[in-house]
Amino acid sequence: MKRQIVALLLILVAVSFGFSQTKVVVNEWRIPFLNCLTGPIAAIGEFLQWGANYAANEINAAGGIAGKPVRVIPVDTGNDPQKGSVEMARIVKDSLVAMGPVPEPVILAAMPIAVENQMMSITATTSYEYAVQFFPWTVSWFPPTLDRLPALVIGWAKQFSDLKQVVQFIEPYGPWPGMAEAHSKALAGLNIKELKAIEVPTDAVTFGPLVVRALDQKPDGIILVCNAEKAAKIIKELKSRGWTKMNHILVFSSADDAQLYSTGGADLNGVQVYNYLNLEVSNPRWDKFKAAFAKDHNGQMPFSLSPNYYDALYMIKEAIEKTGVTGDPKKLKEERKKIADYCANVKGFQGLLYEWDMKDGVPTNKPSYIFEIQNGVKQFVLEVRP
Amino acid sequence: MPLSLYYFLSITAVNILMSWALYVPYRVTQLHFITIANMMISGYLAGYLVLHAHVPFIWALLIGFAVGGIIGFIVSLFIGDAPTFSVVIVGFTSIYITRTIVENLPIIGGTMGMFGLPNIGGNPGTHRWIILCILYGLVILCGFLIYRFDHSSIGRAASAVFVDKELASSLGIDIKKLGMLVQTFSCTLAGGVGVLYGFIYRSFHLDFFGFALIGIFMTVLFVGGYSTQWGPLITAPILYGLPLFFPTEVQSWRIVIYGLLLILVLELKPEGFITRKFVHSLGLSFSRKRAKEIYSKEEEQ
Amino acid sequence: MQVFIAQILNGLSIGSVYMLLATAFNLLLLVAMIIHFSYPQVVVFCMYIIWLVLKITNNNVFFGILAGVSSAILFNIISAPLFQKIMKNREEVDINATMVLSMAIGWIITDVLSHAFNNGLPIQFPEEITGSKPLFRVGLISILPGQVLALSIGIIVVVGFFILLYKTKMGRAFRAIAEDPAGAKLVGIPLVKTGFQSYALSGALGGLTAVLLIMLFHSASPGLGEQVSHKVLAVSIVAGLGNLVGGLVVGLALGILEALVQGYVSGNWSNAIAFVVMLVIILVKPRGLFGVKV
Repeated sequence: MKRQIVALLLILVAVSFGFSQTKVVVNEWRIPFLNCLTGPIAAIGEFLQWGANYAANEINAAGGIAGKPVRVIPVDTGNDPQKGSVEMARIVKDSLVAMGPVPEPVILAAMPIAVENQMMSITATTSYEYAVQFFPWTVSWFPPTLDRLPALVIGWAKQFSDLKQVVQFIEPYGPWPGMAEAHSKALAGLNIKELKAIEVPTDAVTFGPLVVRALDQKPDGIILVCNAEKAAKIIKELKSRGWTKMNHILVFSSADDAQLYSTGGADLNGVQVYNYLNLEVSNPRWDKFKAAFAKDHNGQMPFSLSPNYYDALYMIKEAIEKTGVTGDPKKLKEERKKIADYCANVKGFQGLLYEWDMKDGVPTNKPSYIFEIQNGVKQFVLEVRP
Repeated sequence: MPLSLYYFLSITAVNILMSWALYVPYRVTQLHFITIANMMISGYLAGYLVLHAHVPFIWALLIGFAVGGIIGFIVSLFIGDAPTFSVVIVGFTSIYITRTIVENLPIIGGTMGMFGLPNIGGNPGTHRWIILCILYGLVILCGFLIYRFDHSSIGRAASAVFVDKELASSLGIDIKKLGMLVQTFSCTLAGGVGVLYGFIYRSFHLDFFGFALIGIFMTVLFVGGYSTQWGPLITAPILYGLPLFFPTEVQSWRIVIYGLLLILVLELKPEGFITRKFVHSLGLSFSRKRAKEIYSKEEEQ
Repeated sequence: MQVFIAQILNGLSIGSVYMLLATAFNLLLLVAMIIHFSYPQVVVFCMYIIWLVLKITNNNVFFGILAGVSSAILFNIISAPLFQKIMKNREEVDINATMVLSMAIGWIITDVLSHAFNNGLPIQFPEEITGSKPLFRVGLISILPGQVLALSIGIIVVVGFFILLYKTKMGRAFRAIAEDPAGAKLVGIPLVKTGFQSYALSGALGGLTAVLLIMLFHSASPGLGEQVSHKVLAVSIVAGLGNLVGGLVVGLALGILEALVQGYVSGNWSNAIAFVVMLVIILVKPRGLFGVKV
């Protein structure tokens, strides 16, 4: 019994001690990536991780960062804010820079720690409205929602002269209601009537009542602002209720992932979607990326967020090389600031698909696109540049 | 103090306190999941008061406790002596209702969440120490209160209700009043913990208070031992801390590991690792040792 | 009027899901005294097994259904002793211990599905089993084969099991073993054989439910079971634990209520309103609308 108590106490001490351990590695660049590798969005986490790992392999094959190899350290937060905060607390001790966290609840829990310790952590999959809370210790991968989305919806709506009234399906999650507002702004600007929005419960499994309610309002167009699986099911339900103008359905970017295609299948043919990733663009790096992704994912093409952390790692590489960061632990604070300052105002960053600039942590000239889905493949319709 | 140690200690304290918030009603066989809703309500309210109404943190915390208690008391008027499954449904209902209200209130952040809660004491270091001190002060206070409850006539009445409700009632135990007491205590505690939980992160998000929390607190309670307060105290740091040292490949299966552990414990040690018998024999062993020391001193003299 | 009829039909479709799962839940309670809070996750697991077998056998529906039913029976047989061991010391149904155990089983299933099947992505079922072309469509009113089958088979199953459990010798034997194994043995009921039959029966229903859910949803995801489990438990409790007919009525009623709230009031508030209604019923009638049957 006493032994049991002693054993328990030893475990407690070991656990506490473990948190005080520090490890300093100077032979390689270790970039922790707080990602969601388990849990409900594990599939998306895997795509993001793949992109980061691919970038690391590519960088190392070309000689590394400033002559030293780079290693992406996967840190699984499992969509758990508790875990995310503890992991970030461990990382800020001696890491130069980090990537992630993913997704929003973990960002809220963990990013304040990065900010307090003045360490940059690139949150490349969240909206501007989340990222801005943590400037200058992160950058936003997207311009403000109200600035970027209206142009996309205008581009979509202008294709169809018969679009007089539109209904939105809106799921109450994170920045999505804000994105729906941006869509409304666009519709108002075009004098298109916006019908009463259809709220999609987060745990909805069937969508008949919602679709009937929407169709009863006799919309000419539909915008889907909900997760990919729900978007696909709503589209299937719309079709089964007689909706035929598939290109009058617009799916927002956050729903453009593997779940949309695996659930929707052929029922998605004709549906339009807006996003930032254009599979039809061709350049050597992107073509190699696509081929490698397809090889590792049973022929699937990369999804919208797949290149984000590829680009994030390259941005870190550029920041380290251009600012002369050495990785010397004694200069940690100063070098963290150098990286953050560089990334916040990088000019002419050559991403995987296009070149862009950052101004005070906000991209200024990233293009976005509208596509039409045919047989599981997105076909380019329109490019929209700010 | 290393930052990771701070987060480990603070979240462990939250897990201990919330497991106790489940432990106390479970002494009368009630699974009182409304505590999660209490965390949310008090947490968001306190966050709003501090951020927008500039109420000092300590007042916001006290208000959080009070609101939790008031809600717990009002609800207990209806379900103080309700069957277990009714109490479970009340818990689920309250979580759904609270989530829906929060989603639809932009003033407290809505679906985006509430950001940028200020540091208490003006700087991050002081903030952390204050939070830790309050949390562990609360652990000591609640530990004391629960100890006194367990070793009082009310605690013995609760044990009787746990074993046989009808027999307990026939012995004159007022099941409803007892239920009201434990539920009110549990909700009061949960309200305050919800405030502290948000201030650990300095933000609030709906997903901080999801159904997954029920799983964590239930695991701590049942693996640690639901018959004494010591079980959650010992188990919370171990269950939370140990997986952090597993390799990434093993960590990715931690939910399965938790589930298997829970099943094993329920099958092989249904009362959990720390049982009343264990605590009692521990106490006896120390008192025997003490008695031996006194005896040998007397002999020497 | 057309919209109202469409919403009622939608409600019956949603209600069929709850009814089927609540019936499987209640059956397990009646024949084995197990409150399996996570039975919806078990059913989703069977859906995944069906998907896997369909992939392997090139969409052979017969083998798929056989695999679904067999996996449900096997799961029941393997998990039943786990429940019975923890309940053996208490005379009445121990909701707390069984709820915690079934929650743990539910977590394991959900996590295994998200790790090991289709990279955690939702799975799609082929046309051969889903029957996604409407049988009938006028305006907004649309009736799919899956909806008709789920509702009709669900009602037949409830009536059939009610008759089996309460009007036949076999059913009395099942209930006797569930309530008092020692007493059942004393009166000559073969425990092992009858126990096996009862698990097989509830497993078969679980497998059948999986097939019907495939026809209703046409897809599945790891989190599907979790999404419905709270409501299924609530339906069973509001109806009265173990009450088959009650589960049917309350399940369908909840589905209709949800559909009407989503259709006319608000999608976001549908869950909250549904739970408030159930809460009020529980507070007024703690033993359920139709009474507990265990």
